[in-house]
Amino acid sequence: MPQQNRAEDQKEKRPRFCINDHIDILIEILKRLDGPSLGAAACVCRLWCAITRNDSLWEHLCFRHVSSPPPSSVRPVVVALGGYKRLYMVCVRQVLSRLGHSDLVRRVWTGDEVQLSLSLFCVDYYERLGSGSGRLGGGDASASSLMFLCKPVNV
Amino acid sequence: MKREHHNHLLYHHHHQNLNPPLSDTSMGTSPSGGGYDYTTGVAAGKACKMWEEEQDGGMDELLAVLGYKVKSSDMVEVAQKLEQLEEVMGSSGDGLSHLANETVHYNPSDLSTWLESMLTELNPPPNFDSVMAVPPLQPQLQPPPPQPPLDDSSFLAPAESSTITSIDFPDRNQRNQSSSTCVFEDASSSDYDLKAIPGKAIYGQKTTTATQLDSSSSSSRETKRLKTSSGSTSSELFATTTSSSIAAPPPSLPPTYNNNSTTVNGDSPSTRPVVLVDSQENGVRLVHALMACAEAVQQNNLNIAEALVKQIGYLAMSQAGAMRKVAMYFAEALARRIYRIYPENPLDHSFSDILQMHFYETCPYLKFAHFTANQAILEAFQGKSRVHVIDFSMNQGMQWPALMQALALRPGGPPAFRLTGIGPPAPDNSDHLQEVGWKLAQLAESIHVAFEYRGFVANSLADLDASMLELRPSEVESVAVNSVFELHKLLARPGAIEKVLSVVRQIKPEIVTMVEQEANHNGPVFLDRFNESLHYYSSLFDSLEGSVSNQDKVMSEVYLGKQILNIVACEGLERVERHEKLNQWRNRLGSAGFSSVSLGSNAYKQASMLLALFASGDGYRVEENNGCLMLSWHTRPLIATSAWQLAAKPVTTH
Repeated sequence: MPQQNRAEDQKEKRPRFCINDHIDILIEILKRLDGPSLGAAACVCRLWCAITRNDSLWEHLCFRHVSSPPPSSVRPVVVALGGYKRLYMVCVRQVLSRLGHSDLVRRVWTGDEVQLSLSLFCVDYYERLGSGSGRLGGGDASASSLMFLCKPVNV
Repeated sequence: MKREHHNHLLYHHHHQNLNPPLSDTSMGTSPSGGGYDYTTGVAAGKACKMWEEEQDGGMDELLAVLGYKVKSSDMVEVAQKLEQLEEVMGSSGDGLSHLANETVHYNPSDLSTWLESMLTELNPPPNFDSVMAVPPLQPQLQPPPPQPPLDDSSFLAPAESSTITSIDFPDRNQRNQSSSTCVFEDASSSDYDLKAIPGKAIYGQKTTTATQLDSSSSSSRETKRLKTSSGSTSSELFATTTSSSIAAPPPSLPPTYNNNSTTVNGDSPSTRPVVLVDSQENGVRLVHALMACAEAVQQNNLNIAEALVKQIGYLAMSQAGAMRKVAMYFAEALARRIYRIYPENPLDHSFSDILQMHFYETCPYLKFAHFTANQAILEAFQGKSRVHVIDFSMNQGMQWPALMQALALRPGGPPAFRLTGIGPPAPDNSDHLQEVGWKLAQLAESIHVAFEYRGFVANSLADLDASMLELRPSEVESVAVNSVFELHKLLARPGAIEKVLSVVRQIKPEIVTMVEQEANHNGPVFLDRFNESLHYYSSLFDSLEGSVSNQDKVMSEVYLGKQILNIVACEGLERVERHEKLNQWRNRLGSAGFSSVSLGSNAYKQASMLLALFASGDGYRVEENNGCLMLSWHTRPLIATSAWQLAAKPVTTH
């Protein structure tokens, strides 16, 4: 018995490492995940969920593979149009998959693909403005003009 | 028999201008056995007197075949609706009443007797004879070689299948080889002088094209029932039939048989076996009928045209997918032209807006137009601090968010952006243009672009003057003029396009971007216009076939259908869809004092990427044509974007 106590004492003396105590490390790790994994990470616990809502993680995800970092003017525009998470979900993910990329495969974006994603994102925002008044007929949350991206490819 | 009523319904359906596209929707989504439900649902209660006479003979036979394949549970529903129609028909006039009252009800399982009685009773006009062949010919023909039976599923979903179930005679080769007059033997009714029509049009002889198409799609006939297979077929058919010479019938195009048809093969030669013919044949016939009808309309042979247009509707039913829809729109347009029921210009602006929105979403044409034009404008505005865009085609303003975003992100920051939107009047149009402006202003505020907006209502672009636009001096503000599918409408009025181009010159823009349909639908000869537009819209409809949302597709088809109606049925000032090819526009703009600006590789890359995102992206191509970009569907160019600037003049004007 004394031996066991000593073992336990030794264990208690060594500080237990819990990732949740080190949010900066956690963020660094999450930054390197791909989209689906990030989504899964959001389901782990409340803390992780809150962290993954942080738009900068998604910003990192969106532009991770861009050959040159986007100009600083991009961020306010993207934030105004709905944020990086939405940009990823609505545009970037589809553009990447349709244009033959894979999240798992490191591939360098070209500036044109970034520009195309941003343009489509802007159109999405504009349509969402319109859906408030109901004029455009598609009152649902996702912009109808980008539906062609969301629906599965019709073979 | 309920079937003849069913026929009436089908014809009502076809020749009602209101509902074909919507019924197609239901057809596409309804269960396989419900192939005919849509017609009854739509057409029940609608009586269209002028169509009644012919339809019975033809439709009956078609339905008889299909009636056995369609689930009987559907027939109950059909029957109920038929009863409703019968009441209407019975009271609708002399022409119909004898049909309603004198029908003898036969046991439908005894197909051959029933068919005989139906045909003799109704004394079918000759145009059906050509399709269904004539009883007297039957004994002369040899029974056809047996063919592998088609799946039952081929009948059940006409919308999805590329096969047709129509009644024809066993040895079509033999029949076609016999002189054309013998088929008309039975045509005692001389209401329609169809003998005057060249044999090709009606008989749709099996041409070499049909053979080659058949061989290419024989697998599709039996196994795949995809819309895409029939879709590509339609454009192939249109493409090849015009160029092929219709000579001797091809060696072997064996009709396909359905051994499941109850009375078919076991019967004695004296009865008429019901066989199923590959839709290719009927597709070819359909094209011929369309062209013959257009020719008849051009020559003002309205009786022939009328007869043909009814046949077209019937043949169109036998097709599937894009070809059916195109044929139906053209048939409707021809009918309107014949009967002088011109389509009224839609006063409801919001409806055409909705249609255009769906068109925008379904296929890449408008997006291509916007993105390529925006790229040209962006490049022209490089380094400018105040920019002004004058948009002749404001509509929903879908083009401008992307440009504003690109301007916001350009190195050096965004310029002050001013937009003048010009649109046609509508009951509440001022609200409409202002609403669009308000939305754009919201967007501009979000992305921190200084924004000014002005909306102009004009009946026609020719009513505009440069002075109305409140232009600022060109040193202060750079102007771009943009027109997407608007300039061709000016060609209806002589002098309008010249006036608009001179106004554009006065504006002194940095760049003029123009997107137009790449087709010549403005020739002086009606027949040429008809043929051209038939090809063009077949390609367009084909490209829509791959879209994922059925509702979007249908709305897009309605949107395009209006253009078809305008091109074929209208004349004079009413005919506004006067598309011209890029070369013609080049001449026009060149002589108006503009020179071409090359669109550049950025535009090309953006366009290619955009197209790759679409579901049927592999069918679309971007082509460069002397600095202009064209979007094609499988080698057929459909729209062209071009950019222009004021040509350098020796004497600078102030």
